Amino acid sequence: MNAHANRVLILTATLFAAVALHAAEPSGTEIMQAVYDRPQGKDVQGTLTMTLVDSKGKERVRSLRQVTGTFASGEKKLMVFLGPADVRGTSFMNWSYEEAGRSDDQWIYLPALKRVKRISSEGRGDSFMGSDFTYDDLGDRHPSEDEHRVTGSESIAGEDCWIVESVPRDPKDLYSRTVTWVSKKTMVGVKREYYDHRGALLKTLTISKLESISGVWVILKTEMRNVQKNTSTRIEFSEVKVNSGIPEDEFTERAMTRGL
Amino acid sequence: MKPFYKWASRRPVAVFLVVLALVAASGILIRSRMRMETDLDEYMPRDHPAFVFSDEAEERFLIRDAILVAVEHPESIFNPDTLEKLILIEEALAGFDEIEESDIRSLHTAENILGTEDGLDVRDFYTDAPEDQAACDRIRDDVRANEMVRGRLVSSDERAALVLVDLADGEFSRDLYDKILALAEQFEGPETIHVAGRPIVEGTMAILGPKDMARMGPLVILVIAATLFVVLRSLLRTLISLSVVLVSTVWTFGLMVLLGIPVYTVTIMIPVMLIAIGVAYAIHIYNQIDYFTREHPGSTREEIAENAIDVIWNPVLFAGLTTMAGFVSLTTSQVYPVKYFGLFAAFGVLAALLLSMLLVPAGIVLFGAGTPRAKPTQSGSAAAGSGGFGARFADAILKRPKAVLGISLLVIVLAIFGITRVWINTSFLDNFERDSDIVRTDAFMNARFGGTSTLNVILEARDADAFKDPALLRLMLEIQKSVKTRDKVGDSVSIADYLARMNKVMHEDREEFDTVPESREMTAQYLLLYEMSGDPENLWKVVDNEYRSANMIVQLKSDDSRTTTNVVSFLDGYADRLAEYGVTARYAGSGYKSLVFSGLILQGQISSLGLSVLIVFLLVSLMFHSLLLGLVGTIPVVISIAVNFGSMGLLNLPLTTSTALISSIAVGIGVDYAIHFIERYRERMKEGHAAPEAGRFAMGLTGRAVFLNAAIVIAGFLVLLFSVFPPNRQVGALVSLNMVTAFAGTVTIMFLVLRNFHTSIKEKNK
Repeated sequence: MNAHANRVLILTATLFAAVALHAAEPSGTEIMQAVYDRPQGKDVQGTLTMTLVDSKGKERVRSLRQVTGTFASGEKKLMVFLGPADVRGTSFMNWSYEEAGRSDDQWIYLPALKRVKRISSEGRGDSFMGSDFTYDDLGDRHPSEDEHRVTGSESIAGEDCWIVESVPRDPKDLYSRTVTWVSKKTMVGVKREYYDHRGALLKTLTISKLESISGVWVILKTEMRNVQKNTSTRIEFSEVKVNSGIPEDEFTERAMTRGL
Repeated sequence: MKPFYKWASRRPVAVFLVVLALVAASGILIRSRMRMETDLDEYMPRDHPAFVFSDEAEERFLIRDAILVAVEHPESIFNPDTLEKLILIEEALAGFDEIEESDIRSLHTAENILGTEDGLDVRDFYTDAPEDQAACDRIRDDVRANEMVRGRLVSSDERAALVLVDLADGEFSRDLYDKILALAEQFEGPETIHVAGRPIVEGTMAILGPKDMARMGPLVILVIAATLFVVLRSLLRTLISLSVVLVSTVWTFGLMVLLGIPVYTVTIMIPVMLIAIGVAYAIHIYNQIDYFTREHPGSTREEIAENAIDVIWNPVLFAGLTTMAGFVSLTTSQVYPVKYFGLFAAFGVLAALLLSMLLVPAGIVLFGAGTPRAKPTQSGSAAAGSGGFGARFADAILKRPKAVLGISLLVIVLAIFGITRVWINTSFLDNFERDSDIVRTDAFMNARFGGTSTLNVILEARDADAFKDPALLRLMLEIQKSVKTRDKVGDSVSIADYLARMNKVMHEDREEFDTVPESREMTAQYLLLYEMSGDPENLWKVVDNEYRSANMIVQLKSDDSRTTTNVVSFLDGYADRLAEYGVTARYAGSGYKSLVFSGLILQGQISSLGLSVLIVFLLVSLMFHSLLLGLVGTIPVVISIAVNFGSMGLLNLPLTTSTALISSIAVGIGVDYAIHFIERYRERMKEGHAAPEAGRFAMGLTGRAVFLNAAIVIAGFLVLLFSVFPPNRQVGALVSLNMVTAFAGTVTIMFLVLRNFHTSIKEKNK
């Protein structure tokens, strides 16, 4: 049974459980597990426009083509820069593995250098392309890494949400805790707050546009705001296609050099 | 004013009561509302273009003054305990409210980007304390291979590692300073912990200077009191003279508090100044009282008091006005603490003047003339104008006009030679003893790392992405390479270094690629890669995110102005070549700001020095209704200015913010001797005496008073030589020197000129 099918099964089970438990509220762990197990689609592709806003309000825009596929070994992702012009064609590939403890493989291709380079990095806490997102913020964090607790319910933009507080089991984690507003309808986290090690609010993530494409909830507009540095990053995802059957050999070093 | 003083002198009890009431009111004000201002940024004129630019650039590139904590191990820092200690120190520092975790940089927080066969490897040098020596050796090898860290965060001899704390503006406080020093002590052994950096130096200075002055204050009072007692030979007179200056000091601070002006470091000099200067007026009044009682025995207390008021008011008023002029001339300064210092010191002098005219006569009326217990032996005859030491001295001067002129000229020539060698110093560090901890730590840091002082060279281009141009980047590398060969320049970092490092890493760490990339695209792609996998925060310290401007960091091993000025003028030499790329260079950072700041102080000093000489000349001319006498009166102060700066040049004493203040103040004080002297000489002539007799009389009577006056001021300021704070010592030595020259100039060359010119005028008029 492949990973994808596995997830769908678990999701179905969880949803049933959630419905069954409707009278008695689900636990924080159950909610976060359901979020994690939400169907992602076998593959997703689209154009990502990232707007970095510095503390003075100055904006820098980067656009890239992103393709993600889920395969037996894990998730593979290819990103090719469309702009600005001087980095056009620069591409970045990431393979992450289901296998516990195996770290990601990453490659970078610089057209000016005409060579693919493998990057080994241990920093999941690194900023994603200089934005306010870390790689960790963008990835799916396994619910078992945190202790979860439901602290209440609230309506966000007319959507009923659970408020779940998650405290990392590893005290050296990037954040001291996160608080997530999870839509009861879509099981998508629509807002999240990240707290630093002093317990002060560091960043706020909001999702302003969500669409069901081919039966998968896809986030189309999101914003991360660093309240301490007063910077923010907006990400828009457009021309999105889900489950268009992208083969695994689209995610190779050769594919990186090919560009678009 | 005279009728007022006479009216007041007949109501001595009321005078004392009113003065006391005002003292009590000032005392209450001072106790309840006085506040100290130690933030040096508050001293700078915010709207000056250089400061506006620097503040903006500091914001743009997150330029902060760093506190440097160095951990020194006798053999090598690459052992498990020392490497763990770095982490512990960071954790302790991050625990302070003033410090954010992201403000701390060290080997532990640094990332190592390595070029390998098939790619690049981005990882921490270490995350947790290494378990064994083998792990430490691996870290050592990584450091040796990384030129961004080697010699920067770890010394080249591997015996010291740095923890840098970037401090946001205004975050430095006495409390933080104490906490960091306590922390350093806590982590001592076997490693030595050194703490340095501009905030520490500024903080120590802001704490030490005023503390020292506060300690010297009572000592100055004691010495002045003792000197007064010796001079006046009466406890009552000593007490009255002392209360004049103490009351004027209290009033001055009371007024300052009433107007809501904080106490600045420089303000601390006011009490010492007022105490030493303010006693002069009382001395001259007592001098006249003694003269009058000798000449007119049996006069009533009221007559004695009224005579003193009549005779002394004019010279004392002008002596006071000229002293005030010296202080008021400081208000031309653009620097607020200096302006306030001038204004309030002038107020204090005015208060001392008025109080002398009120309290001394009131004391006479209330307690009697208080004639000295033992009369000076020669003064009786000196007063008569013949035979006394003063008279003999006067004759001696007149007999050797060529010698007096010759020596004066020699002194002036020597002084002018000295003046050409005067240099300006804005160093904070030079304010400390050579063997003080702070200086030694600084020397240690400078010996092992790039330098404790920083000059930020802000390069600005017209267009965005300018700093992706390889040609411009190559020029930057070239500038950095040559600036590093300059004296006392330790290191330099710019965006070009980051790119050279990236280029090398992307070419399997091959040395030949340790230079900027060959194309604009490659630069852009490296920068993108750095943003993706490195720490972009580092990047924004050397370039802005539009790549329109860059911050080239130059580290200096000295914070003195010679060093900074040399580097600035060297870098200015590249202006034309930078202009080819549409790039202009300007400077920023606290080191540069204090250079500009000191420039302002000195510039202000030159104008206030000129102004004070001008005002003094006009006042003296006005007093004597003669421009010629005005010129004669300014001779001693002009000589003392020359000698002041000349000695500084010859003794290699730099012009600093504190020594610069001295000269215009000294003009105001130094001219007093001439005023009293000329006044007495002229009065004697008016009474119908011949010039030689008037000369002897003035020298005998006023010469003595002026000598005592100078002796007291000098004694007061010489006390400062025992200060532990070198700037305070320099102030003490220079004021004393100025008084000596002003006094000597008055009784020698000025006397000679006065006799010659004045006689000829008188004869012409006949």
